[in-house]
Amino acid sequence: MGDLAAKLQEELTCETVFQIGDIGIAESTVITWVIMAVLLIFALFMTHNLRVDNISKRQAAAEFIVVKLNSMVEGMIGKENRKYVPYLVTVLLYIGVSNVIGLFGVKPPTKDLNVTAALAIMSIILIEAAGIVKRGVKGWCKNFAEPIAIVAPINVLEIFIRPLSLCMRLFGNVLGAFVIMELIKQLVPVVLPLPFSFYFDIFDGLIQAYVFVFLTSLFIKEA
Amino acid sequence: MSTLIAIGAGIAVLTGIGAGIGIGIATGKATDAVARQPEAEGKITKLLLLGCALAEATAIYGFVIALLCIMFLG
Repeated sequence: MGDLAAKLQEELTCETVFQIGDIGIAESTVITWVIMAVLLIFALFMTHNLRVDNISKRQAAAEFIVVKLNSMVEGMIGKENRKYVPYLVTVLLYIGVSNVIGLFGVKPPTKDLNVTAALAIMSIILIEAAGIVKRGVKGWCKNFAEPIAIVAPINVLEIFIRPLSLCMRLFGNVLGAFVIMELIKQLVPVVLPLPFSFYFDIFDGLIQAYVFVFLTSLFIKEA
Repeated sequence: MSTLIAIGAGIAVLTGIGAGIGIGIATGKATDAVARQPEAEGKITKLLLLGCALAEATAIYGFVIALLCIMFLG
């Protein structure tokens, strides 16, 4: 048991890989760079040499992916908020890839609390900015007193609760899946982990990416 | 001391009961709804996912607290 606790401790702490001046570059940052590079190269490969007619198979696949993802997020956020779709699809791709990347033996960046906190803070800034754009500064302030003035403190508190719950949900799910997988692997190292790995590593990770984007778009919609 | 920490972590994880009941009820109702109106399945699935994610969050909080108990007190 002590072995497992030490291993968990090691997985929880995010090591500093190297330093630039006084700023330490954490492991999750480097893995994020790798994910960015992979997504960028994939996008460049899929989109080079685009044509209007007589399209190649690769272009058809690229169009299919883009249209599917866009329409999925647009269905959640509504037609009137279409301008936020590219950001949300980017977040969806990033969280999805980084949850699944654990299969390749690297530490998923979403297992670092700082990464999920940063994503949640970006989300809440976008949500409040969307509210300001939609209602103007005055209307945005007034919106806190909806439906009656007495709930205003709760509405203000929600600004802090929403990113906290977004951040903790993603972090807790990824960490929980990891802990359960480690326990199963200690119990029965062969065959049995396979179906569980399917659920916890692939399905759960993608669902969490979907849920994160879904909740953000829901909040934007009602901001 | 470590026994007390273990008991505390166990109590924190009891939040899972609520999440389990909540997700169970939500899934049952969703199945009911799909059986009644199979054409509305897409919308129902979306709502179910949202509800499950919100219900599951409480269990996750309990889990995180339990883990923090073991990591930082033990």
